[in-house]
Amino acid sequence: LKKVKIKVETIDILLVEDNPGDVRLTKEALKDAKVLNEVYVVQDGVEAMQFLHREESFSNMPTPDLILLDLNLPKKDGREVLAEIKQDPKLKRIPVVILTTSKSDEDIIKTYNLHANAYITKPVDLNRFIDIIHTLEEFWFSIVRLPPKEQ
Amino acid sequence: MELFHFHNGKAFIGNSRIVVLFFPPPAEIYSLTKNAKIAEESQTSSLYTRSLIEASLDPLVTINADGKITDVNKATEQVTGCTREQLIGSDFSDYFTEPEKARAGYMKVFSEGFVRDYPLAIQHASGKVTYVLYNATLYRNEAGEIQGVFAAARDVTERKVAEEKLRAASLYARSLIEASLDPLVTISAKGKITDVNKATEEVTGFSREQLIDSDFSDYFTEPEQARKGYQRVFTDGFVKDYPLAIRHKSGKITDVLYNASVYRNAKGEIQGVFAAARDITERKAMENEIQRTMEKLKQSNSELEQFAYVASHDLQEPLRMVASYVQLLERRYKGKLDADADEFIAYAVDGANRMRRLIDDLLTYSRVSRLGKPFEPTDLESTLSIVLENLQASISENGAAVTHDKLPVIVSDGGQMVQLFQNLIGNAIKFHGKEPPRVHVSAKDQDADYLFSVSDNGIGIDPQYFDRLFKIFQRLHTKQEYSGSGIGLVICKRIVERHGGRIWLESQVGKGSTVYFTLRKDKRSD
Repeated sequence: LKKVKIKVETIDILLVEDNPGDVRLTKEALKDAKVLNEVYVVQDGVEAMQFLHREESFSNMPTPDLILLDLNLPKKDGREVLAEIKQDPKLKRIPVVILTTSKSDEDIIKTYNLHANAYITKPVDLNRFIDIIHTLEEFWFSIVRLPPKEQ
Repeated sequence: MELFHFHNGKAFIGNSRIVVLFFPPPAEIYSLTKNAKIAEESQTSSLYTRSLIEASLDPLVTINADGKITDVNKATEQVTGCTREQLIGSDFSDYFTEPEKARAGYMKVFSEGFVRDYPLAIQHASGKVTYVLYNATLYRNEAGEIQGVFAAARDVTERKVAEEKLRAASLYARSLIEASLDPLVTISAKGKITDVNKATEEVTGFSREQLIDSDFSDYFTEPEQARKGYQRVFTDGFVKDYPLAIRHKSGKITDVLYNASVYRNAKGEIQGVFAAARDITERKAMENEIQRTMEKLKQSNSELEQFAYVASHDLQEPLRMVASYVQLLERRYKGKLDADADEFIAYAVDGANRMRRLIDDLLTYSRVSRLGKPFEPTDLESTLSIVLENLQASISENGAAVTHDKLPVIVSDGGQMVQLFQNLIGNAIKFHGKEPPRVHVSAKDQDADYLFSVSDNGIGIDPQYFDRLFKIFQRLHTKQEYSGSGIGLVICKRIVERHGGRIWLESQVGKGSTVYFTLRKDKRSD
């Protein structure tokens, strides 16, 4: 990962996703995005928390501007990751968007109760998926005003 | 006859309404008289006595020590069919069906002084038999010497017949009791068996002698329950269909239902409990079998639903990958490879899309009972407004007109009612003919359920295909003609069945179709 701190408008997205197919698709979709972005990928919940706490090999990683979180993950699942983020005073302001295949009401209610910022079911159709990613990006980085980053 | 009183030469029978008189032969009377006056009085008294004797309805006779008849009254003539002249001097015993017994009777009087209620049967000359009870006593002269036997017969034929009838009836009742396949017992207040029938012997394996006087509750798998049962009969007067299990001495168990009530004596006092057991082993076995089958069916149904759900849910993931990447290929390389590549990719994209629809439908199908909501009163009028709103695009696009009868409120899963009507009305519009679609929804109250129908003026369906329509993924048209996976009616069927109803179809090609379905009024959520 390159340290490109010069460009102020570059945004950092943490993608927590264990399926390489989905990772690639998300990255492909973000390629055409309007805002310059850097996507960091971790494959399980434990790594996600290490990344956010800059532990182990993640000591040089930035604090992400947006977290795209899958629910069903190895080691520590997305719900636990979400709960930990939202209970952590340093992390809880980071928008967390749940990106999952689950359509279940139970998951939707539970994650919003854990203060998820949005819940999105991955569509089967590629074009629809690309649209959603673009909408997400536009919403969180052009429409919404976020609190200034710490440090 | 209890007692004779002797007064004024007349013998009175103690407590009898009929006065029986003894009638000494005239010679005796003379010997008894001391003077003419007395003789005359005696004469009068004797005549009076005689007329009373003759008036008696009971056959009266006197017999001498040889067993010969010495005197008779009118009633004796009538009962034997012989005249006074024929009778006097003849053997007393000749007039009975059992002469020996008759002889033994008067011999007993000579030896013991009397007989009381001695049963005999007088045979009339015509053969007719009269059952009588004899009461007889010795009579003596002044000197106390035995003169003979005075015997009075009481006709008891009627009583005898009644007794016979009673005995026959009682035998009949007993044979009915014995013939009963239900084990029957009577139980005392202390819980002891007082009587049993054959069936009780068979079901317990114990003999009547062993059973009587033993504890009723000893013969059950749950003696405490048995005790509670008969105690309840004593307190409540009866029990109905009280379940118990009888244990045969071999260990074999018979499931029974007891019906029992108290029985009373003539004074109305409770004598005990009469209890009848009905063997329900077979019924119970059958019930268990049905129960098992139902459970199996339920299990296999839920497994099937689970399978449909898991299959469709888990298939979605790999499908999403296939579909997305094929689309990505198309997006990025369309027109950049050769024409074949474009065609191949197009087919792959199309296949993936169709598969997606199928899986979606399968999920919808599995959701009908898996995610069915509890039944609540649902106003189908508002259900229909929702449906028409949902179908607004299709309605205006096809210029369809949807009319409907007044629709009832029905206890049902509201979401599924929307699904049901939307599928049916949607189909009715979709399969329209040349004319703009006309759809009518009707409802008819049929007491236990409502009969609904959705009829259209569409293309109609050949009756030979009716069955296919309700089977999963069966289509009648190519997907070029009409889109859809063919699951709509299957889901309708599933919803209707979950609501305790039936669904069927009437149609003629070119003349439109009517889908009928019923929804039960009393169906509760599963």
